[in-house]
Amino acid sequence: MAYARLDRREQLTGWAFIAPALVLLGLFMIYPIIWSLWMSFQVGKGMNLSFGGFANIERLTKDPVFLRALGNTFIFFIIQVPIMITLALLFAVALNDSTLRFRGLFRTAIFLPCVTSLIAYSTIFKSMFATDGVVNQALMALHIIGSPIGWFTDPFWAKVIVILAITWRWTGYNMIFYLAALQNVDRSIYEAARIDGVPAWARFTHITIPMLKPVILFTTVISTIGTLQLFDEVYNFTAGSGGPSDSTLTLSLYIYNLTFKFMPSFGYSATVSWVIVVLVGILSFLQFLVARDRRRT
Amino acid sequence: MSSLKLSGVRKSYGHVEVIKGVDLEIKSKEFVVFVGPSGCGKSTLLRMIAGLEHISAGDLEIGGTRMNDVDPSKRGIAMVFQSYALYPHMTVRENMGFALRFAGVAKDQIARQVQDAARILALEPLLDRLPKELSGGQRQRVAIGRAIVRNPEVFLFDEPLSNLDAELRVHMRIEIARLHKELQTTVIYVTHDQVEAMTLADTIVVLRDGVIEQVGRPLDLYDNPANQFVAGFIGSPKMNFLAASIVEKSAGSVTVALRNHSGVQFTVPASGGAVGEDVTLGVRAEHFGEPGAGAADIRLNVDVAEHLGSTSYVYANAGGESLIIEREESRNEMGQEHITVSISPERAFLFDSKGQRIR
Ligand SMILES: Nc1ncnc2c1ncn2[C@@H]1O[C@H](COP(=O)(O)OP(=O)(O)OP(=O)(O)O)[C@@H](O)[C@H]1O
Ligand SMILES: [Mg+2]
Repeated sequence: MAYARLDRREQLTGWAFIAPALVLLGLFMIYPIIWSLWMSFQVGKGMNLSFGGFANIERLTKDPVFLRALGNTFIFFIIQVPIMITLALLFAVALNDSTLRFRGLFRTAIFLPCVTSLIAYSTIFKSMFATDGVVNQALMALHIIGSPIGWFTDPFWAKVIVILAITWRWTGYNMIFYLAALQNVDRSIYEAARIDGVPAWARFTHITIPMLKPVILFTTVISTIGTLQLFDEVYNFTAGSGGPSDSTLTLSLYIYNLTFKFMPSFGYSATVSWVIVVLVGILSFLQFLVARDRRRT
Repeated sequence: MSSLKLSGVRKSYGHVEVIKGVDLEIKSKEFVVFVGPSGCGKSTLLRMIAGLEHISAGDLEIGGTRMNDVDPSKRGIAMVFQSYALYPHMTVRENMGFALRFAGVAKDQIARQVQDAARILALEPLLDRLPKELSGGQRQRVAIGRAIVRNPEVFLFDEPLSNLDAELRVHMRIEIARLHKELQTTVIYVTHDQVEAMTLADTIVVLRDGVIEQVGRPLDLYDNPANQFVAGFIGSPKMNFLAASIVEKSAGSVTVALRNHSGVQFTVPASGGAVGEDVTLGVRAEHFGEPGAGAADIRLNVDVAEHLGSTSYVYANAGGESLIIEREESRNEMGQEHITVSISPERAFLFDSKGQRIR
């Protein structure tokens, strides 16, 4: 670089300006991250820790509960993220139609869930899907089911409810990104396509989706991270157990239980945390790979 | 190659009527230009023909078939937008061939049609580029190519050149004129640039506030405007308007006195008008003559003179009226404070107080 080097005093001044932020970041982010990596090689219970090498990683492979949590998390991720992204896209396109009446109302209604209190909505979901809850009563009144379904006692339905809940909560959040992107699209592109006889479905798949690709990638990565860290909903629905019989246990909930519920096993729970980090890394990388412009960059 | 017919066409947005009853017939292969000031409804009318806007009242026929409720893609039209409206993620080739895929055209046939259009528009070296890798003029050619590929009966253009720089505009204007000759299709072209209108059109439609002011061939509008609005709109520089009143009337002519030039009066051929009526005299900048060459001379204060080489424009005033006078280049007149020019009544127009022509 041809710039004149800053002299020492100016350099110091610069560092002094960013020092407070740097110290805080270091203290509350970088240090814990490095410490947790160190922790993940520690074995033992409570405060009684010792270096165990790869013992924790070995334990992972033999821990049925961990494998269960990993499997559950994957199921949530594989099913929930695509459903939510697709729904958010469809809502965004529908609510971008300038001829639709009450657009603002619908937009707000769909966005609102993600700003509601987590506890409030969990509680309402719990009561709605209780054995004598409104959902069972409605389904029975319509003669769709003969006897109440135990939503939270059936392993399959428990997962469905969790997926339903997080989809309800986060679809509107993703939709806002798509709406913002759509509003930047030149309207005449769609008009040209209409005049040229491109059918509506093809306008969606061949024009809207490619044009929203960067935003779709962004929301997919964000949602992937969110789902891999899924904790609050399952904790609230199952009183922290991940039940019935671990069928809704997620990695995050397992980490929580390992740390605060069972005999604390800090080293091992740090290892599980790093599993999430690695998974997020791999999945995001894969998503970038898939979304890469095939023709040119 | 279709004719068009609009009868009593209207358009309202809520309570606001923006197209107020348009009747127009467009012959097959005709190049029709809609001109008018901004907001007069040119685009709206074009978009109604395209089917992008619903027609509130009246009938639209294309090729003898009523098209009011026909889907835009089934009207036999293609449209070129001011913003080009290219698909940003598709190459030039894909942009041009995209719509054909949904019309059931075979792959090799699409390739052939795209190739043909690319040849006509000199786009062949650019076929594998994305729109963002093209210049404005090239993008506009792709947009035109996309329209050509569909082989439409009627081309619609909405201010296709207004995003281009002056030089490219002239070039593309000639290009479009050549295309029209080559393809022999009906063209409806919207612009507010009257040079484009004068040079491209077989027929010009002058619009104002959602109504047609006049329809005619370019030179007819220039030589024979129906009213003061058209007279002022067609022609560059703008026609000069001088306040006057009729002082005497005889068979086939009236004598007018200019309000801001006391004592100046002369007879103008016209059979309408009444004595005492306030009128406006219209004189084009290029129709002022040397002193003594016309029926009367007027003396003006010079504000500014622009010397362009072959011609000069003198901006002058008298009694609060601003006039533009076109002169042959006259370097020795530079710096003058006053100018005297003559008016030739046979080249002047008379308008009544409502702006209608008095003939
Ligand atoms: N969607 C709409 N809702 C309400 N009014 C509209 C709408 N679209 C256009 N208008 C009005 O209709 C009138 C005509 O608009 P239009 O776009 O046809 O003008 P234009 O002649 O094409 O002008 P320009 O030369 O600036 O493009 C304008 O007064 C405009 O405000
Ligand atoms: Mg317009």
